[in-house]
Amino acid sequence: MSGMIQGGWEFVWAAYGITFTTLSLYCFSLWMRLRADKNEP
Amino acid sequence: MMALLHKEMLLTWRGRARVIGALTFAAATLLMFSFSAGADGRLLQRLAPGFLWLAILLASTLTLQASFDAETEDGALDGLILHSSPAAIFYAKALTNWLFLAALGLVLLPLIAALFDASLGRLDRLFAVLIAGTAGLAAPGTLYAALAGRSRAAGLLLPLLYFPLVVPALIAAVKASELGFFGDPMDQWSGWIKLLLAFCLIFWSLCGALSSAILEDG
Amino acid sequence: MSRERLALGFGLLGIALLGWGSYLGLFVAPPDRYMGDVQRIMYVHVPTAWLALVVFTLAFIYAVLFLVHRSWRWDALHEASLEIGVLFTGLLCIQGALWGKPTWGVYWAWDPRLTTVAVMLLSFTGILSLRHFLDDPLRRASWSAATTILASANVPVVYYSVRWWNSLHQLQSTPKTVNSSMVEPLRINAFGLLFLTIALIMARSWIAESRRRKAMAPPLAKESS
Repeated sequence: MSGMIQGGWEFVWAAYGITFTTLSLYCFSLWMRLRADKNEP
Repeated sequence: MMALLHKEMLLTWRGRARVIGALTFAAATLLMFSFSAGADGRLLQRLAPGFLWLAILLASTLTLQASFDAETEDGALDGLILHSSPAAIFYAKALTNWLFLAALGLVLLPLIAALFDASLGRLDRLFAVLIAGTAGLAAPGTLYAALAGRSRAAGLLLPLLYFPLVVPALIAAVKASELGFFGDPMDQWSGWIKLLLAFCLIFWSLCGALSSAILEDG
Repeated sequence: MSRERLALGFGLLGIALLGWGSYLGLFVAPPDRYMGDVQRIMYVHVPTAWLALVVFTLAFIYAVLFLVHRSWRWDALHEASLEIGVLFTGLLCIQGALWGKPTWGVYWAWDPRLTTVAVMLLSFTGILSLRHFLDDPLRRASWSAATTILASANVPVVYYSVRWWNSLHQLQSTPKTVNSSMVEPLRINAFGLLFLTIALIMARSWIAESRRRKAMAPPLAKESS
């Protein structure tokens, strides 16, 4: 297994964490904007 | 078209003070670039082609913005549209901006040579790059000045839209100028010029085609 | 109502697939021979890259359709795909930097693909802010459509000029060189993100449409209703 990069999980978690947090926040903001639009037509 | 071109040239001539201002601005940026790079003479010499194009690019944002001022101030654009096609108005303004930027580059060239000790090795090549490179900046710059000038944030939007678009023109112009200043052992100059000409061809035609969408609406 | 159910269905399906694919990618797939566990970033990075390209291609198509047909429907979809494309390219840059640091040793390299994505992110963010600073809906629609066409035409030119400028690029792995247990999470995540993107574009275009209606509604008619 020589030449294989060891560890690096912190980078993996950071990438997945940032991606899915951002996507969830965006989904949530779309949901709120749609609700706000419905309440005042 | 000729009448429009004449009008644009006349307007530029009447605004000579602005021309001198833009030139002073470009010279001031050259000074600032050198201070930011440090006092290493050899490094400055190597960076000279990049500085030349950055100075032209930054000064162009000021002069491009002014090119639609005369019409937007009194809403004369609507009147102009009635008499001539949007493409003709666009090309007259773009040609004027091109001439102006090329002239600015020609004035900056000896200044660069003196400030950074860059020998004007192949003057014919440097002239060709200046003419082709400023053409690449003028077409998209003029179209974006037309939209930015009639929005709520002209000074912000023009560079925001225009800088990313002219990245290929800037890369090719800097590379070709480098080869013009310092010699061209690998004979790559014509390749960069071809790239620059392709960029000009694409954006001079595309911007002309899209000018009706921008000048006619609203 | 049915179109909302449809979008919700697509969104939930997308989220479920993304959860499954990421689980496989993080815990089931073997570590890469050279890159080790860091390579697991690929299962989210590559689908993001694909979808970012798809969404910007859609933005270009909607821009052309708006200029040809002058229908507000295309403008709403154009606005939606611009915003979602910017979101995806932003994520793409962050994921790429996090993958680049442990493998290349640097967060950023002047590679043609990276640089092109950065230029795309800047161009389309600029168009979004152009839309923000224009009040008249017709101007906003046709001007941003024109700028989207220019920015899209620029993408291949930027790619080739940067490649020539910095002729140093790494190999792109083809599916043949990749183990099959690595392909599976990649495919599942790609389809998951695709379904989620469909839902996001639908929802975002409804928001754009209702805002445009409000901006164009005569103030008197609003009071009487």
